[in-house]
Amino acid sequence: MDALDKKLLDIIQSDFPLQARPYAVLGQKLGLTEAEVLARVRALKGKNIIRRIGANFQSRKLGWHSTLCAAHVPEERLEAFVAEVNRHPGVTHNYLRRHRFNVWFTFIGESKEAVAEALAQMTAATGIPILNLPASKMFKIKVDFPMDDNA
Amino acid sequence: MSLLKFSAKEEKALAILQANLPDSATPFGDIAREVGLSEDEVLALVRRLKADGVIRRFGATLRHQKAGYGHNAMVAWYVEEGLDIGEIGRKMAERPEISHCYVRAACLDWPYNLYTMIHGRNPGDCLRLAEELSRETGVAQFDVLESIREMKKTSMIYFDREKGVTA
Repeated sequence: MDALDKKLLDIIQSDFPLQARPYAVLGQKLGLTEAEVLARVRALKGKNIIRRIGANFQSRKLGWHSTLCAAHVPEERLEAFVAEVNRHPGVTHNYLRRHRFNVWFTFIGESKEAVAEALAQMTAATGIPILNLPASKMFKIKVDFPMDDNA
Repeated sequence: MSLLKFSAKEEKALAILQANLPDSATPFGDIAREVGLSEDEVLALVRRLKADGVIRRFGATLRHQKAGYGHNAMVAWYVEEGLDIGEIGRKMAERPEISHCYVRAACLDWPYNLYTMIHGRNPGDCLRLAEELSRETGVAQFDVLESIREMKKTSMIYFDREKGVTA
C-alpha cells in the first residue's frame, strides 16, 4: 500500500463520489486517470483490504431496532451457544472477549418486540441468559480510520 | 415494518447498494440497467437517502486488521450520577481512535452505562487510551473488554432483492 492508496482509502471510506463516473472524480482529486483509480481499488479488494463498497444504513431511520447483547457462557457450552446466536441473520457482529461476560454480539430486528422475542428464543434454546443493552444515545458511529498518517 | 416506502425497483437497487457496488467505471448506471431505473434516478435515490441520514455512510468498508488497526477493545464505563454523561460521551467521541460511543441502559448485574470501541495499532494501545480517558474525564470505574476472536462479522440485510419480484 503506497501513499496514494492510503489517500484513496481515506477518501472512499466516507466520501465515495455519488456520481455517474465516481472513479474519474476520484482521479481528478488524486491526479490519476479513471482507469488507474479503478485498478487500485480492484487491487485493494483483491488484497482483501477493502471488504466491500456500498451503503451503510442507519437501522433506526429505517424503523428497525438494534441492540448490544452480552452473555456469560461457560467454555464447554460456547460452541453451541455461538452456533445458535449466529444462526440469526440479525446478528451482524459477534466477538469473544476476555471477561466474565465473554460473548458480545449486536442484534438488529424489525422491532423492539421482535428483538426481545429472538433473544428469548436463544435463551430458551441454550439455557444461557442474555443481557439486552439497547443504546439510548449515540455520540459516534464511524468506522473509517485515517490511513494517511500525514493527513 | 420500514418507516420509508420504496418502489419495487428502488428496493432492488437498494438491495444491491447495501451489498457491493458492481465492479465497473459506471456502477450506478449498471445498477440502474439491472433494476429498470435510469442512472439519474439511482443517483438521486442514494443522494437523498444519504442527505436524510438513512444512509449513514456510503463507501468502502475495510478489514481493519489488515489495514493496520489490528487491536480493538470495547470499554464499558460507569458514569456516576452527578457527572455529565453527555459531556463525557462527546469528549470521548472526539478521539479518532474511538469508532463507536453510545449510552446504554445499565442492567441489574451490569452497572456500565457508556460504551466505547477503541482501536489501536499495537498491543497495549487500547488500555493506554482507556486510562488516559479515565484521567481526563474523571470516570474511574471502567472495564476493558479485549476481543479474543471475531466469531461473526457481516453487514445487515435490510433490502430483499427478490421482494420486487414477489410483491
